[in-house]
Amino acid sequence: MLREPKKANRRHVELAQKILEAANERGMTEGERLAEQAIANICNVSRTPVRKAFQVLAERGILLRDGEGSYRFAIDPVNAVRLEDSGDASADDDVRAAILRDLAAARISEQQTVASLQRRYGVTRLAVQNSLMKLSEENLAERGAGQQWLLKQFTVNADSHAKSYEFRLALEPLALTMPDYRRDPTAMLSLRQSMLALKAMDEMNFDRKLFLRTDMDFHILIAKGCGNPFLAESLIAHHTRRFSLPTNVHPGTFRLMQANNEHIQILEQIERGQMGLAADLMRVHIQLSQAVRPRLAGRGVPASLKMTAR
Amino acid sequence: MTPEKTIAFFPEASYGAALNCVGIAQQLRALGARPVFICHPGFSDVFAEYGFPEYHLADEVLDGKTDWTDFISRHQDAFRQSPYEQLESYVRPTWDAIVDTALAVEQPLRQLLNRLKPDAIVLDNVVMFPAIANAGVPWIRIVSCAETEIPDESVPPYLSGLSAEKSASWDDFIREYDRVTAPAHKRFSAMMNDCGLKPPAAPLFLGPSPHLNLLLAPEIIRYSRQKPLDPSRFVFLDGCVRQEADYQAPVFAAYNDQPLVLTSFGSLGAMDVSMIKRMLEVFATLPFRFIVNVGPWRDEYTEVPDNVFVDSWFPQSSVVEQASLFIHHGGNNSFCEALYFGVPSLVMPYCWDGHDNARRAQETGVGRMLPRYDWQPHELEVEIRSLLADKAMAQRLKSNALKMQAHAGARLAAEKILQVTAKPAASSARKNTPKRGGDSIA
Repeated sequence: MLREPKKANRRHVELAQKILEAANERGMTEGERLAEQAIANICNVSRTPVRKAFQVLAERGILLRDGEGSYRFAIDPVNAVRLEDSGDASADDDVRAAILRDLAAARISEQQTVASLQRRYGVTRLAVQNSLMKLSEENLAERGAGQQWLLKQFTVNADSHAKSYEFRLALEPLALTMPDYRRDPTAMLSLRQSMLALKAMDEMNFDRKLFLRTDMDFHILIAKGCGNPFLAESLIAHHTRRFSLPTNVHPGTFRLMQANNEHIQILEQIERGQMGLAADLMRVHIQLSQAVRPRLAGRGVPASLKMTAR
Repeated sequence: MTPEKTIAFFPEASYGAALNCVGIAQQLRALGARPVFICHPGFSDVFAEYGFPEYHLADEVLDGKTDWTDFISRHQDAFRQSPYEQLESYVRPTWDAIVDTALAVEQPLRQLLNRLKPDAIVLDNVVMFPAIANAGVPWIRIVSCAETEIPDESVPPYLSGLSAEKSASWDDFIREYDRVTAPAHKRFSAMMNDCGLKPPAAPLFLGPSPHLNLLLAPEIIRYSRQKPLDPSRFVFLDGCVRQEADYQAPVFAAYNDQPLVLTSFGSLGAMDVSMIKRMLEVFATLPFRFIVNVGPWRDEYTEVPDNVFVDSWFPQSSVVEQASLFIHHGGNNSFCEALYFGVPSLVMPYCWDGHDNARRAQETGVGRMLPRYDWQPHELEVEIRSLLADKAMAQRLKSNALKMQAHAGARLAAEKILQVTAKPAASSARKNTPKRGGDSIA
């Protein structure tokens, strides 16, 4: 069983994730060695943070120490789950997470001031200001009149998932049919390996974390490749936001397995250059992913009142 | 190679029955069968999420005239009444609606079954559908409700919420139940006769299957019957829990290391937002974590306490597994899930067999009952605190849970269903005329 490290610097966790992505793009596999200097060059950093990032990966069982300062992959990096932001988060990060958590749970209203948040969380003014700035950069908050800040409640309310699917249904198939769409064969190969690894799993041992990572990488890859910077910016911002917010959707494992197969089919059509077909499959995929349930059910409830809700 | 068996599930349009069937269908799929679901009008997409094909009964039977606000208001008034008072205000109109549905879906159901050609039909409902009895294949009954649904001289009347100790109240309730259900039963009997079937004797709307009957009730809450059920046709599953997505409890703004309490009253029970808000006021004063299913009314809740998390849907069985207490309405599925995971129940019933399960939880010592409306904040607090502190109950429930889990009810049900499909065709419902008191049951 993988052991979670007790404390790791957030920057090192982020760099570790970057190293994993670079390794996947280069098709590295279990047992391959990682050269500190080569990785430092690829990631455009010095060797010291790379060494720290290697330690993070080793603590998670992804790398094995292989002599003095040298590491090799203990597992196929394709099967490594996305590294969570479990690093030594700053006070600002804690406040940001708490604001989002409480907004999603309807514990705080969407209109706030720095002072009101300071009182609630018992932190410094600077910590709240920094958190709000970060939320603002992520398009989750904006300045209101005077001292007010407006937290974007629509991103976390009961209707947010339905609206997100609506948005994606409009834009993701479109992204696939843009005239300047560019395929990234290396990234696609890496994704395909993860998807095939997932496909080989059954319902009982399906790796939901690996699926989530693959899901995010897949949809962001399509956004990045669309060739239209405005469309790409919108979609990447949306995906980043939806994967970072608390979720109230709990799809069953069987549905995730189906979704993985749909990803594979879409990827195959992109590889073949059949972008229209890939767009059609994407439409089907998004519609199938919308969890729609009757909102009221019970003995004797008239059919017209069951009315589905997302 | 033996062709895979197609097993058609037809659960009633309620989450309890639906999810119960999902648990059995998952096991049938693992055993190589092909489970499919027949959906009542308006009740769909629940099964597709678990990867099962859905067949919808025709949309034209949808009744588009019902007034939503009026429906909620009428039900909320009825939910404040005693089980006896509800016979007139809730049980009578509900049976009327159930029979209406049975009449409306008869033709599309017959057509669908002709197309599907299943090897067996699993009915998790409270009413018989002639199309099922006439389908020419074995049908299996899952007893949707509490064990009281199968009558016996020693079992309190169905829906009464009365104690297992026989009293004059039993007869009063039975008389009134017979009276209020008589018109619906008359229409139901006419439908059965029109289809060449002998209806079950009033006030029963569904008799036992001649092939196989499955009951959820675990031993710890079962009644002692005057006429024991025939074990060759009646199988107790000791619960029947589906595989559900893993659930990671959210981070609360307070008391993250304290016991978790799940509250869920089903989608009908979530309608009364003001009652649930009243409960949240009590929860806010307690040093525990509370997860509350508020159905589609999630946006009605603002200023949610720091130790409370409300949402419109949870993978319930995964949450129950992590909970230390389950506050629910006595729905049979919820009650059995609590027992399956060894979690005490605080039952606050408002209708149907919730009353029976609430009483049974209290008299068998697996939980407590509290009136849904008639409580003071300190009373709710005392119930929650005392149930969480009751180590003897917790220990007894944990031991029982191990037994139930070892019994593997969903797997057992799947195996029994496949055994039924392997037998030559059995007698039809025409020969099966159950009477009150279980004369033809044992």
